[in-house]
Amino acid sequence: MMFKNYIKTAWRSLKKNKAFTAINVLGLALGLTACLLIVLYVVDELSFDRYNTKADRIYRVNEDLKLGNNTVNYAVAMPPLAQTLKTDFPDVEDAVRLKRTASHVKKGTENILEYNIAFADPSVFNVFTLPMINGNPATALAEPNSVVITETTAKKYFNSINVVGKTLLMDQANCKVTGVIRDMPKTSHFNFDFLISMSSWPDSKSDKWLRSDYNTYILFRKGADPKKLEARFPQFLRKYSGSEMQTDLNLSVDEFEKGGSYFRMNLTPLTDIHLHANRTGELGSNSTMEYIYIFSAIALFILFIACVNFMNLSTARSSNRAREVGVRKVLGSSRGSLIVQFLTESMLVTLGATLIALAAATLLLPAFNQLAGKEILINSHTYVWLLPVSLIIVLVIGFLAGSYPAFFLSAFQPVDVLKGKLAGGFKGGWLRSFLVVFQFAISIFLIIGTLVIYNQLNYIQNKNLGYDRKQVLIVKKAFELGKSAAAFKQQVKQLPGVADATLSGFLPTEQARSTSIFNKDAGMLDQKNAIFPQTWAVDPDYIKTLGMKMTAGRNFSAQMSTDSSAVVINETAAKFLGFDNPVDKLLYQALDGKHTKVKVYHIIGVVKDFHFNSLRENISPVILRLGEDTGDLSIRVSTSNLPALIAQIKQKWSGLSTSHFEYSFMDQDFDATYRSEQRIGKIFIVFTTLAILIACLGLFGLAAYAAEQRTKEIGIRKVLGANVTVIVSLLSKDFIKLILIAIAISSPLAWYLMHKWLQDFAYRVNIHWYTVAVAGMAAMLIAFITISFQSIKAALANPVKSLKSE
Amino acid sequence: MIKITDLEKFYRTEEVETIALNKLTMEVRKGEFVAIMGPSGCGKSTLLNILGMLDDPDAGSYVFNDIEVAHFNERKRADLRKHNIGFVFQSFNLIDELTVFENVELPLIYTGVAAADRVKRVEPVLDKMQIMHRRNHYPQQLSGGQQQRVAIARAVVNNPKLILADEPTGNLDSSNGNDVMELLTDLNEQGTTIIMVTHSEHDARYSHRIIRLLDGHTVMENIMI
Ligand SMILES: Nc1ncnc2c1ncn2[C@@H]1O[C@H](COP(=O)(O)OP(=O)(O)OP(=O)(O)O)[C@@H](O)[C@H]1O
Ligand SMILES: [Mg+2]
Repeated sequence: MMFKNYIKTAWRSLKKNKAFTAINVLGLALGLTACLLIVLYVVDELSFDRYNTKADRIYRVNEDLKLGNNTVNYAVAMPPLAQTLKTDFPDVEDAVRLKRTASHVKKGTENILEYNIAFADPSVFNVFTLPMINGNPATALAEPNSVVITETTAKKYFNSINVVGKTLLMDQANCKVTGVIRDMPKTSHFNFDFLISMSSWPDSKSDKWLRSDYNTYILFRKGADPKKLEARFPQFLRKYSGSEMQTDLNLSVDEFEKGGSYFRMNLTPLTDIHLHANRTGELGSNSTMEYIYIFSAIALFILFIACVNFMNLSTARSSNRAREVGVRKVLGSSRGSLIVQFLTESMLVTLGATLIALAAATLLLPAFNQLAGKEILINSHTYVWLLPVSLIIVLVIGFLAGSYPAFFLSAFQPVDVLKGKLAGGFKGGWLRSFLVVFQFAISIFLIIGTLVIYNQLNYIQNKNLGYDRKQVLIVKKAFELGKSAAAFKQQVKQLPGVADATLSGFLPTEQARSTSIFNKDAGMLDQKNAIFPQTWAVDPDYIKTLGMKMTAGRNFSAQMSTDSSAVVINETAAKFLGFDNPVDKLLYQALDGKHTKVKVYHIIGVVKDFHFNSLRENISPVILRLGEDTGDLSIRVSTSNLPALIAQIKQKWSGLSTSHFEYSFMDQDFDATYRSEQRIGKIFIVFTTLAILIACLGLFGLAAYAAEQRTKEIGIRKVLGANVTVIVSLLSKDFIKLILIAIAISSPLAWYLMHKWLQDFAYRVNIHWYTVAVAGMAAMLIAFITISFQSIKAALANPVKSLKSE
Repeated sequence: MIKITDLEKFYRTEEVETIALNKLTMEVRKGEFVAIMGPSGCGKSTLLNILGMLDDPDAGSYVFNDIEVAHFNERKRADLRKHNIGFVFQSFNLIDELTVFENVELPLIYTGVAAADRVKRVEPVLDKMQIMHRRNHYPQQLSGGQQQRVAIARAVVNNPKLILADEPTGNLDSSNGNDVMELLTDLNEQGTTIIMVTHSEHDARYSHRIIRLLDGHTVMENIMI
């Protein structure tokens, strides 16, 4: 009964001050919506791979290799590793290998190139939780040429999910469908549509220990200690790879390690892969914990800003309500019941805001998914945690935001209030000033952060990469043409609108990579001077077609028969080799471990460094040699009528092959590499804008109250001769001062933290002083516009009216 | 000094149109001390606000020091006002956040007097109003009579030719009220023209002439001397 009364009074009071209530509810709802979306994002990121019921017992085995100047951290391991670990260590309950591949799959007369395919050991269904709808998981991948497909894939190829026993023609081989599984969850670090039995892939039986090809996962027995297993890895590796090292590299493990090189293994918990792993040979593009921290911080910031608004507006209003408090107290209301009254009001506002936020977040989720590249769903599982969390939010924020005004206002002495002693309550709010400073410090911080991220992304977009990615059309999988690949290239080169073309799968924007060891002399492996460069087979048109620049020597020539042993190296390779003048120097490649057979290469030129990794990494050495790699045909086009040209190229392709014709554009492939960064950048911008908007909403409210509080003063000043400019600056001065303090606090901090963020990029922009200045000015301008709206209104008001209202 | 002819002022609200001043004509000469009296709501404050150029009339003519100001825009009126007119209100209208000294200094700031000169001009006025010892106090720390003396100090600090006072003793007891009236009389004797609205026959006796406003139109004059 009493409680109902509180709610009724609170409701009336909120209704009476519509503008105040609107700003509060709106600001808080906006903040909560943003916060909620980020929480959904973070929860989604943190839930990666947790759909596996045995997730806590699954670990990936990684390889770290250092040879000479090169270090590589692999997410892939040796072919025999999985089986050997399972046999040697009783703690390992099971192990599975995955190997990514791509293949043409026949659907009717069409040949579709599928990328989400992996070879998998039969144990894959024991280790991972991939529920099978049709088929027997125990035996599904036992036989060669068996394939398990997902529901969606089954529907795509057969229009049905009862397809066990049917066959799929994959790269000319008949594969028997032995199972249909549910689609892999989006929150998996790998996502395959087809799993082919590992036994279909002959190389999987290799017993080589100096190779890294297979993503290898082990399942520990319950209660086993992964640390103990890791401790035994060095011994294990020595046992199995020692002899191979001796024959292949002509080195004992001790000699190898004495030379500063190493070959190690370690474990990554399955649930850490998505956010903590970024190795060579990952099965998908992972995210990083850094972004989780950044977004969580933004969410907290936004929530904080919204709460501060609430508190500030409530206390600002306190002097208006002081009289009400005074009268209530004179009439016998206790302090306690006043506190409850104010808290009820603030909880009511928070409740309203939370309900709006829940609705808004649900409505905005599709757009947010689009922005973030996610498939987050709000379903009954979400509500299981979302509703209690919302309730806690209402209580906590309602209390926090309401407590200051509640305790502050209820402490008013009725005599003081009625005497008007608290009329000047607005100015005395040092806490309010402090909070406004804090709010704007955060906003300015976010503006600077956004500017730096934006600049860096822009820099990546426009950086001279050492090759020209514009106007390059890539025809994929030219190896499908077999021996006719060269003929295809010649035919394409004849087409009008084609400037040049080159056959090679080793492209800066593609995945194909190959490394091998080169020495500066013909003798034994010299670990100090050996380099471990990317070794790419290209044709004489490669450098020209991709618009790379030679800095010394010459390009390959089809006319020079000796060019079969010629190489063009990049500037970094020259630096690693320590050649001041690399042209005409020789390089040696051992063809066996004893170095009895050695291939001699002759450096004919140096190509300007070009980027082929993420700009987060430094350029590594590259050696280009003449070879016949037919991975892709890259075509430099010089026509505006691309569709026509593509049609012509496709026609040539169809004349030579029945396979599906696939192509892409090099600049789009490049952009895809940075899609996650672009996304992060966009999300950042959206939420920063929101944060600033909310902060301004609060400032708008505060300015309104300041103006209202000072109506009388403004009236008097106008009577005494103050003009509009004087009044506006009078009202803005206090706020501008606070914002200046905010700038002073936040800019060094932002500079420092963003500087640290940029360190992750080997190639990065500098933070210029004017970035900070622009952010400060922007905040100042936004704040000023917000305030002036109110100040000008106050300054233009008729003083006669202002004085009369007294 | 002041000559108004057929002055009109209406207030329009949603339902009714109130005629506050209806073709009012009157004149005040330089150096006069005039009291305006009349029943509540007859338009005294409205008249005073127009005379003080805080408000503009809807029709009629207002000549101030031989200048027609009825059609002046806000900026021009403000300019004329701050150099020539001082105000004293019933509710004092001091700024709570400023000290006594700062309150009195304010008009000088708005007329662009240099800081050093301002001190030289404020202090004698505070002295004369006998509130020098309170110069660093805030309005709430003063009694009503003291506050009104601060307000009068503020009204005269700029040496205005005209002081407009709207019920200056309305919030004061009789002894404080008499002090204020003495101060106004002194000022008048030194040459300042004073127009004062009052409900008190007692206060009105300090003036030279009483203008009685009945309904925003009718004027009856009592010459006191
Ligand atoms: N802003 C306004 N809006 C509408 N009507 C107004 C307004 N100001 C004054 N009035 C009306 O104009 C008339 C004159 O008001 P004014 O304040 O001049 O009276 P007054 O003679 O000063 O009265 P009092 O002795 O009570 O102070 C009154 O009828 C009043 O209701
Ligand atoms: Mg009046």
